[in-house]
Amino acid sequence: MFSIKRVVLTLVLILGVVLAGCTPAATPTEVEAPAAEPAEVEAPAAEVEEPAVEAEEPAAEAEAPPATEPTTLIVAFSSAPTTVDPADHRDRNTESLIRNMFDGLVTRDATSGVHNELAESFNWADDTTLEVTLRQGVLFHNGVEMTADDVVYTFERVIKENMIEYPEAHTSPRKGLIAQLESIEKTGDYAVTMHFSAPYPTAMQMLVHQQVIPMGYMQEVGTQGLLDAPIGAGPFKFISAQPGYTEVVMEKFADYYGGAPDLEPVGPACVDTVVFRVIPEASTRVAALLAGEVDIIQNVPAELVSTLEQVPGIQIKTAVGTSPQWMEMNVNQAPFDDVKVRQAMNYAVDKQLLVDAIFGGKAEVLSGPLSPYNAFVNKSLQPYAYDPDKALALLAEAGWTDSDGDTFLDKGGTKFSFIIDTEEDFRAISEAVAGQLQAIGIEASVRIWEYSVIKPLLQAGERQAFLNNWGDSAFDPVGHMEAKWHGYVEGTTYGRGNFSGYNNERVNELIKLGEVTVDIAERQTIYDEAQQIIYDEVPAIFLVLPDVVSAAAADVQNWEPAADGRFNMHDVCIGQ
Amino acid sequence: METTPPTVQPTNRLIHLWSIRLKLWLRDTKEFLRELILHPTALIGGIIVILYILAALFAPQITSYDPTKGNLRDRLKPPAFIEGGMKEYPLGTDAQGRDLLTRIIYGARISLIVGVVSVGISVLIGSILGALSGFYRGKLDAIISRFADLLMAFPFLIFAIGVMAFIGSGVTNLIAALIFKGWVEFFRVVRGEMMSEKTEEYVEAAKVTGRGNLAIIVREIFPNIVQSIFVLATLRIGEMIIMEASLSFLGLGIPPHIPAWGSMVASGRDFMLVAWWVSTIPGIALMILVLSINLFAEGLRDILDPRLKTIA
Amino acid sequence: MKAIKILERVLVSIPIMFGVAIIVFLFMRLTPGDPVDIMMGRGGAVSAGEIEKLRSEFNLDKPLHVQLWLFLTDAVKGDLGYSYVQKTPVTDLIRERLPATIELALTALLFALIISFPIGILSAVWQNSLLDRFSMAGAFMGISMPGFWMGIILILVFAVKLHWLPVQGRIDFDAQLAAGTGFFVLDSLLSGNRAALISSLKHLVLPGFTLGAGIAAILARVLRSSMLETLRSDYVVLARSKGSPEWNVVLKHALRNALIPTVTVIGLQVGVLLGGNMIIETVFSWPGLGRMVVAAIFQRDFPLVQGSVMVYAITFVLANLIVDILYTYLNPKIAL
Repeated sequence: MFSIKRVVLTLVLILGVVLAGCTPAATPTEVEAPAAEPAEVEAPAAEVEEPAVEAEEPAAEAEAPPATEPTTLIVAFSSAPTTVDPADHRDRNTESLIRNMFDGLVTRDATSGVHNELAESFNWADDTTLEVTLRQGVLFHNGVEMTADDVVYTFERVIKENMIEYPEAHTSPRKGLIAQLESIEKTGDYAVTMHFSAPYPTAMQMLVHQQVIPMGYMQEVGTQGLLDAPIGAGPFKFISAQPGYTEVVMEKFADYYGGAPDLEPVGPACVDTVVFRVIPEASTRVAALLAGEVDIIQNVPAELVSTLEQVPGIQIKTAVGTSPQWMEMNVNQAPFDDVKVRQAMNYAVDKQLLVDAIFGGKAEVLSGPLSPYNAFVNKSLQPYAYDPDKALALLAEAGWTDSDGDTFLDKGGTKFSFIIDTEEDFRAISEAVAGQLQAIGIEASVRIWEYSVIKPLLQAGERQAFLNNWGDSAFDPVGHMEAKWHGYVEGTTYGRGNFSGYNNERVNELIKLGEVTVDIAERQTIYDEAQQIIYDEVPAIFLVLPDVVSAAAADVQNWEPAADGRFNMHDVCIGQ
Repeated sequence: METTPPTVQPTNRLIHLWSIRLKLWLRDTKEFLRELILHPTALIGGIIVILYILAALFAPQITSYDPTKGNLRDRLKPPAFIEGGMKEYPLGTDAQGRDLLTRIIYGARISLIVGVVSVGISVLIGSILGALSGFYRGKLDAIISRFADLLMAFPFLIFAIGVMAFIGSGVTNLIAALIFKGWVEFFRVVRGEMMSEKTEEYVEAAKVTGRGNLAIIVREIFPNIVQSIFVLATLRIGEMIIMEASLSFLGLGIPPHIPAWGSMVASGRDFMLVAWWVSTIPGIALMILVLSINLFAEGLRDILDPRLKTIA
Repeated sequence: MKAIKILERVLVSIPIMFGVAIIVFLFMRLTPGDPVDIMMGRGGAVSAGEIEKLRSEFNLDKPLHVQLWLFLTDAVKGDLGYSYVQKTPVTDLIRERLPATIELALTALLFALIISFPIGILSAVWQNSLLDRFSMAGAFMGISMPGFWMGIILILVFAVKLHWLPVQGRIDFDAQLAAGTGFFVLDSLLSGNRAALISSLKHLVLPGFTLGAGIAAILARVLRSSMLETLRSDYVVLARSKGSPEWNVVLKHALRNALIPTVTVIGLQVGVLLGGNMIIETVFSWPGLGRMVVAAIFQRDFPLVQGSVMVYAITFVLANLIVDILYTYLNPKIAL
């Protein structure tokens, strides 16, 4: 670095001298200030209506300093939100942005599960009928009170066909997230009833992902109007956005009802302005945090975690992840059609070393097909231990030995050689797994794909191994088990993420049963059995559940990233 | 050649002819080398390029490590000359615990192959099509030229990104993507030269003696333009190597386990703050090679073809 | 006469644009990968009906030649379709992003000119001096470094370590710049917003320099070698013998003639400028066209990629057209 730095520096200094004569504005001499405090200079013009808000603040936020300076929080995302319409996306960052401006009936906490937000109470009239009582006195950003009409409108816009009229009429992509909802009706000014097509044990978890929009405003301005000026009932109101949502500026909504009463603090947001900005390059994102340009960054590369921890003034926060990672093996093709080989693969990989080396300790080893934090994980399962000798023994039983002394295992004259297909995001762990398999004599290499390119090949059973993840942000087996471990049934949701070709009749049956069983203990028994079968037949190397790692500047307070990656800025303060 | 005595036997005659050619070639080479020595930057560039080629050829003899095998327990070790470094890894290790020196040496293979093969095939395709188009003109020329115009409308990198997204990453695919547009420039140069040389007297003279078109193209015209092509090709090799790096940066280049400098620089960028060497050392290796190739190419240009000055 | 020639050149580029459109279209459609998968994201439940619906919504269920025909006829009307991902008209997205990209490209070009002209001229005048050697070595380094790598190093040095310049973005969010042309420097000048001007200029320095450095290196070398040639030519010798002051000889006689090859090279470098901006915009999070296209390629957002690449190709063809025209003014001997 020394030499390069010096050379570059010298070069640039020379150029700087040349430039000094030509472009005075560009020479950075008077910019000594340690950055980080942006909002000082230009504040007066735009903050005219602020004082009123300011007055309420101390009451709501006891520990907040008696700030006269408006506070700003800048959050850096890794990819751009695609819209600000709560009904028109299938994207986590979009949801993360939207949930700062729009609240839903319920929300989910980083640790303690689902809590009421716009709903005051729920009552299951029977297995398929849910009565919801709404909170009263909730205001949208335009000052209109939320009523049952808004909630009915919101859900109908999601579940009915072609309700989103811009740019061309289409059906909400979020319909699938609440597929069992058949209809919703208003039963009072602050009461609605939902009718489901079947018992829906995960209803509350899924309701978290739908946010309420104002009917009157929508009827007035339409979807296009909503995109230009989104109005919700969330803690922040929309101010402006750069093209493509590469930057969205929001301001505290002074008349916010306070958010979920179970979750402290309750009341208007602490900071005055929140900016969501997109910085796709991980190294640039980290650099921006270190340079004090942003306060919070998403998706810290695992490699940088231990270093950032040593930087004074940086806090690292981890949340339980919701995306377990596996290497699925094609069970219908040699060599992975032999269960012994698949078990050997599990014994051959040192998962704890992966956790320590690739994830800097910020991950957990998977014991089986489900995340250890899933509500229905089989707690009796233990991770396959790292035991290369056992792996070799199993492989030998399956006929794989190094008979020609070339250090690679072979069987019937064929070398044990295969490609681990993966995506860019899983490059490091894939290479590490390949390296460990090489160590016991398997010629494994890695190939990077685009998901949409490889998916059809995987579903057609044309590939051998695929290392990837599958989210279970609802912490429930539904949305996960039927996708990954149910036999693939084309045109349905069953097996849509099943890339190992695994198809066990009993497991299929159990998965379907679990979807409609409401009794918790009964569900646990069902899923325990399914997990045990999958664990024994090992269609995948069960690898790790990485934590979600974010980082923030030292003065960011009361910030906890949520497990589903949501960044709720309502609670966050900036201070010393 | 006109000194050939008329009395010798046909076989002897051929040997004689070739010995004269060899002598001429040797004389040219000697002269070239003499000029090269007078051109120190080109000489140094040339020597460094040769060293790189030797390192690439004898990689397994130079290092005992396997470039694709790492030891996770030794990941991100700094170079030996820095505190915390290990003697076993003179230039440190990468995130997978692979020896960087080994990967750089093997990486020279891939980078040189990408550069040389993509340019080489581009030259071949460009020259053949250019010669045919420029010499025969007509419909064939019109079709190829229009197609070339079309490809010229795309900036190179944008085109390569598109092609790589289409055919997927990999060494062969990358080379194919680079050739797909790389040939156009050589096509244009050769075609232009063909058109102007065709009207020269020596070509007319050859026609009068009844030699075939192919013979005229290959024997008469080509020797006159081969030097310009060679110089241009050398300059492009460096560019292709940088192109590989840029595509790898976007995740469209060469698969991770294959040691290639571009993808090493690209995948090391996340570690710049904690392990600068992972990205910087291959970057310097790449820079020195490209620099040497360019220095050599510029020297070549000065010596062989001063006309080409403006083609950068 | 000249006007007719120029018109002719413009007309010739029209079929090229059509060819470009067809090539881009075919490339995108034949690329493996189903955009519907991307639109739906991963996880959660998706019904087959929803997928069919999306497919017909974007004409993906029609035969290829019908899709191509629809694309071309719409394109002529200035309608490039809707982005799959952002559900917004492609023309709007491009229009929003284009000013950022042009601003960056012009800055880079300006950097390249400011750097290369003094260096190129002085290196030629003082051939083999220390300045000549050093600047030519620097120029060689400039073209021997991958742009993204240089960008990351500059960020670490000037933003993270020295805190002189911002890491990323176009402007501070609180610069209060009123919407205008989308060219932030121009907008802040027009509205007299000094803070916004300083902020946007500071944001331009690192990406502009990174993008311009390679071009500066090439230009400096070309300018130097053509200056060397013209400085030795007869008319310069003549001008000198007539007692013209040296600076006059250099700037008026030698430079003017050395400009001809330089302008050609600038035209060729527009392609580098456009391609390089995809990389540099990604490194510096510059919200321009290049970054959008890179994302769109990975998302298989066909309409957006098609539209953007068309814009790139048109810009490139136009730039070379302008160079050709400039050329005739610099060197009246050359007809178009």
